[in-house]
Amino acid sequence: MIVEKLALGRIKLGITAATQEEALKTVGQMLIDSGLCKESYLEALVKREKEFPTGLDMGGFGVAIPHTDVTHVNSSGLAMAVLDKPVTFTLMGMDDEFVEVKLICAMAIDNPNQHLDMVEALLHLLRDKSFLNDLAEARSPEDFLSIIRAKENSNAN
Amino acid sequence: MQIEKKKIIVACGGAVATSTVAANSVRALCKGQGLDVEIVQCRVSEIGSHIHGASLIVATSKVSKDYGVPFISGMPFISGVGVVETEKAILDVLKA
Repeated sequence: MIVEKLALGRIKLGITAATQEEALKTVGQMLIDSGLCKESYLEALVKREKEFPTGLDMGGFGVAIPHTDVTHVNSSGLAMAVLDKPVTFTLMGMDDEFVEVKLICAMAIDNPNQHLDMVEALLHLLRDKSFLNDLAEARSPEDFLSIIRAKENSNAN
Repeated sequence: MQIEKKKIIVACGGAVATSTVAANSVRALCKGQGLDVEIVQCRVSEIGSHIHGASLIVATSKVSKDYGVPFISGMPFISGVGVVETEKAILDVLKA
C-alpha cells in the first residue's frame, strides 16, 4: 500500500517553485529530513531528471516520479508535493515533449528488486485522473493521505 | 530443431524503477504466451554490452543509438496507455 510508504512529514501541499529544480529540491529534501535519503540525493535527483526525465501525462494531469541511484538512499519510501502552479517537466522517454506537472512523487528506492510492488502500486494509483484532481485539492496532508487510503481500499475491494 | 531462447533487453535510465516495472510486464506477457525468454534488465548506457544475441530492446527512456535490433518503447507499461498495442508489437517481434 502506498499509504504505508508515505508519512505526514513527507507530503507538502501548495508549494511554489519557479523551476523544476526548485520543485525537485523541495520534494527531495523531505526524504532527506526523514532519514530515508542521504544528503547526496538532491543533486543526484536533479541531475538524473535532466538526463532521464520522469514526467508523465496521466490523461491531461501532469505527474513526475523522480528517483535516482540506490547509493543515495538509506531505505525505501515516497515523498509527494502538490504544486501551487504547475512546473514544466520533460516526458519520460522523450527529450522534446513536455508536460505541466502538478504533482511530484519522489521515490526513494534502495533495492530495485524489492520495491517493484511500491512502484507498480504508485503507477496504478496515478492512472486515475479524478483521483489526481482530488489529491491536488486536498486541504491538508492528513486529507491527502486519507484520499489515498480511500482509493487504495476501494481498489482492493 | 531446438527453438532458441530469445533474449530481450529491458532498459531505462538507471535500472532502478521503471525498467523493473517494464521487465516484469514483459516477463508476465511472455509467460502467459508460453514463450521461454531471457530478460536482461540494464541501464540504457549498458545496452551495448548486452546486445549480443538480443532479439528485442524495450526501454522506458530514449534510445538514441541504433543497435540493429527492433526497439519498442516500454512507456505504455508505465503510463498504462497503449499496453495492448505494445504487447502485440512485442509478441510480433518474438514470434517472427
